[in-house]
Amino acid sequence: MKNIIKLILVITSFSVLTSCTDVIQIKLDEGSKIYVVDAFVNNLRQDQVIKVTTNDNYFSNKEAPPVSNASVVLKDLTANTQYVFNYTSNGNYVYSLSNTDTIARVNHSYELNVTIDGYVYTSFNIQRRTAVIDSIISLPQEGGFGPPTTDTIFNCLLMARDKVDNVGDYYWLKTFRNDTLMGAGGDINVTIDGVGGLVTSAPNDTIEFTPPATFLGFENFRKNSKCRVEIHSISRDNYFFFIQALAQINNGGLFATTPENVKTNIVTPDGAKTKAIGRFNMASVATRSTIVH
Amino acid sequence: MKLRLLLFLTIFALKIYSQEKFTISGYIKDGKNGESLIGATIFKQGTNFGSAANEYGFFSLTLPKGEHVIGISLIGYKTYTFSVNLEKNITKNYELAEEGKQLDEVVVTGEAEDKNITSTEMGTTKLDIKEINKIPAMFGEVDIVRAIQMLPGVTTVGEGASGFNVRGGNVDQNLILLDEAPVYNSSHLFGFFSVFNPDAVKDVKLIKGGIPSQYGGRVSSILDIRMKEGNSKKFEVNGGLGTVFSRLSIEGPIIKDKMSFIIAGRRSYIDALVKPFVKSTNPIKTSEFYFYDLTAKINYRINDKNTIFASGYFGRDVFGATAFRFNWGNATGTLRWNHIFSSKLFMNVSALYSNYKYFLGFKLPQLNQKFEWTSNVINYSVKPDFIYYLNSKNTIRFGAQALLYDFLPYDAVGQFSEGASVKFKAEKRYGVEYSAYIGNEHKVLPRLTFDYGLRVSLYNYLGKGTSYYYRDTVANEPKPLDSTHKFQNGKVIKHYINPEPRFSMNYVINSHSSIKASYNRMAQYLQLISNTAASTPLDVYTIASNNLKPLVADQGSIGYFRNFKENAYETSVEVYYKYLQNQLDYVDNADLFINDQVEGQLVQGLGRAYGAEFYVKKNKGKIKGWISYTLSKTERLVDGISNDNWFFSRYDRTHCLNTCVNYDLTKRWNISTNFVFLSGTPASFPNSKIQIQNYNIPYNTDNIRNNYRITAYHRLDLGATYTFKKNETRRYKQSLVFSVYNAYNRRNAFSIYFQTKDGEPNQTQAVRFSVIGSIVPAVTYNFNF
Repeated sequence: MKNIIKLILVITSFSVLTSCTDVIQIKLDEGSKIYVVDAFVNNLRQDQVIKVTTNDNYFSNKEAPPVSNASVVLKDLTANTQYVFNYTSNGNYVYSLSNTDTIARVNHSYELNVTIDGYVYTSFNIQRRTAVIDSIISLPQEGGFGPPTTDTIFNCLLMARDKVDNVGDYYWLKTFRNDTLMGAGGDINVTIDGVGGLVTSAPNDTIEFTPPATFLGFENFRKNSKCRVEIHSISRDNYFFFIQALAQINNGGLFATTPENVKTNIVTPDGAKTKAIGRFNMASVATRSTIVH
Repeated sequence: MKLRLLLFLTIFALKIYSQEKFTISGYIKDGKNGESLIGATIFKQGTNFGSAANEYGFFSLTLPKGEHVIGISLIGYKTYTFSVNLEKNITKNYELAEEGKQLDEVVVTGEAEDKNITSTEMGTTKLDIKEINKIPAMFGEVDIVRAIQMLPGVTTVGEGASGFNVRGGNVDQNLILLDEAPVYNSSHLFGFFSVFNPDAVKDVKLIKGGIPSQYGGRVSSILDIRMKEGNSKKFEVNGGLGTVFSRLSIEGPIIKDKMSFIIAGRRSYIDALVKPFVKSTNPIKTSEFYFYDLTAKINYRINDKNTIFASGYFGRDVFGATAFRFNWGNATGTLRWNHIFSSKLFMNVSALYSNYKYFLGFKLPQLNQKFEWTSNVINYSVKPDFIYYLNSKNTIRFGAQALLYDFLPYDAVGQFSEGASVKFKAEKRYGVEYSAYIGNEHKVLPRLTFDYGLRVSLYNYLGKGTSYYYRDTVANEPKPLDSTHKFQNGKVIKHYINPEPRFSMNYVINSHSSIKASYNRMAQYLQLISNTAASTPLDVYTIASNNLKPLVADQGSIGYFRNFKENAYETSVEVYYKYLQNQLDYVDNADLFINDQVEGQLVQGLGRAYGAEFYVKKNKGKIKGWISYTLSKTERLVDGISNDNWFFSRYDRTHCLNTCVNYDLTKRWNISTNFVFLSGTPASFPNSKIQIQNYNIPYNTDNIRNNYRITAYHRLDLGATYTFKKNETRRYKQSLVFSVYNAYNRRNAFSIYFQTKDGEPNQTQAVRFSVIGSIVPAVTYNFNF
């Protein structure tokens, strides 16, 4: 909810009268070094990647500086097994799903250990259930967002169901247009139970995903393009991370919020000289695709 | 020593009372349209015995028995002089004639012109609507709030931001009163225009310091806007066709000199103007983007002792497209009864209503799905106020107020295609604020005046409702819920009491200079929840509760006032220091929408603000206007934010320079100009970026808030008004107002933010957002008949 409200306020405030934006050159201070752990593991049948990098000068135009000397181990505490991720390149530590179906199992508890220079940086996560996708509907757009064009534009809408049991489910919706992830510029679609807001105290759980969570990407599809959606289950803290990250990566307009540092769920051990921040999440994923017509 | 002084004072007092005295009282009105004249001064010529007409134009002046020459004066009006033989109390109404508009203006010397020297008011600016009319305005439209932003000590986070900041106070710390009813959102189109229709406004007064005891409820300033009563002599129509909106007002007598009305409306049409010129696929085609408002007032003078008034405002802003829509607006209503008990005792009782409401909705009609959300804040209030003109040395004001806050934090409903729906409705929250005050304007010595008083406010956070209790946690983390407790209707959940002493003094050095000092404590029982740069129309207010303490501010100020060239120039220097407690801030990543545990995400901290304000104003001659300069600092201290150090507030501006000049070029042409220079506001910039899931996230490893400043803001505006030659046989008057806003086309930064360049996932950049990115010319046609 909050992200959608934010987006609308951004659109609104940019569209007011004669407002404009310019890219400008400014000088920023250099921050001290920190490690960044990017560990989003899921149950899709594909190689699982955990990335370990450091922060960088804000205006650097390179990929994040890699950390190649880490050891990355994922422990399934419920099944009492562990998976060692191997370094390939660019800070990527990979686990290939060659001898197992998945390493991510719903309701299992996991511990992530990233060891750098003898210090073990840790994080815990429990894998949650995901929603059920019925279909993706494409509708011709009548007004709405996006730049004008003469072609007919379609909006893709998600038809999905959430389990009704008074348990808050947190979802991250990733939309792909022709297999390219949309919203890289800063539109992150996360939702609780398929609607928005904090529903921890609400008596009703939702049955069906409702707008605005069902608007896939706020971007346009043309005829015959492919729309694929993935619903990742995320933990509550990761839901709030996305909300916070969204506020930071496109913080413009009249209603910009006070910039703040995103929170981490990676714990830096006592005595470590370099702090690590980042996110660890184990996801169950529901996925579906359609050809727009 | 003390005893002797007391004895002396007693004898002195007895001596006063031993003389036989009588009172002259009544109303002072504009001879042309019958509008009561607020602040007109009545005085015995050649002395400093005088009294000012109150908010309803009522005055009372007590003088010794005998022959007196009395003058009544007000800037912009001819001084009316008459002699009177006081042998009994006299009740009479007086009318003043407007000064002629000749270029070789007759210089009238009256006491009103040096009111800035003689009154105890400080930190106070009264703006005449005629004066506001001459300021070059954005889109050629006169605007009260934007005029106020030109005054010393008043800033804004930027154009387009709603509201204004007074002496380091947040936007929610201004009590904005429209005929005494509180207005919660003073903005149209975010912050470009204010909700006050200048055609319906008579008097505007901004009080930043030395706030008298009759006002309370907000800690930083009082913006007291009084509506016109409506022409009680003849029908009058005012209107204008502007670039952004059009306006029309009608006023006139219902019963001549006894009953009159005014009704005024505005509607913007920027959406209607733009639509024909955009492609059919442009989102603007299907969007709505407009505002409207309606202001009305009626008054009835029952007899010499009783007058009743009813006034109201209703306005809304609407913004939307097919998929979403939001709107917001205020409604206010005021019922007032003026009663004169005696020539020395005046009473006004007001009953007030105010409702601020907003709506946000998404819908997909094709699938019958929607999500809708509303929130509102309603006030009901009763407020009796008395003025007792004890004698020529003491004017006592006393009164009380009861104010009920009725809040609906949110009411949301989601509807599914199968017909089922889900509701999230917050419980309503209630609070009631009782206050009582007494204050005395006391002329202690001919040159020394004190205005002292006390206001006591008692606040009850009331059931029916659930109160939430939180456990402590580390700073900058949401507090976890510990327990909840349900309270019955009317049950007091938590109460607060705040004595609010007020004091101001004036020592008149000579006829053209004085020194003033003041101290006031103010308490505020509701605050706006907003963690955005400009407050959004969707921000909600919240009231003091078991978790949130009331905001309390102490302010002291000292000023030197001096007039030059027979009051042609007014100058002043004021310094102030303000200390605020329990100012709201937010834990990182606070979720302020649809959250019944929002209080767990709020933190309260300290604020301090200090500064010096310099003001020069020229009141007479062909060239009129003012220059104001403010040097100030505004900081905050909040647990867990910015490493527990003081940090600059978002609206801190070190230097603030405003000049506003208008020049009567010829009989027909008046030209005017504004120049504004403001230091850049503080901003938090990152010192690095981190990459998570391919998002480039700005990060500051030092964790300091507001560690940078954006570039300075400056702007020049030009305006010219052409008044058409009046047809002597008709009373139709017309004028054209040309204006150029941002004349040298500066792109002032509202904010600087950081983002990833489109299509280049590793390239990050800094972007300047300017609300006004070009010269904005406009023409407005005004008429009056």
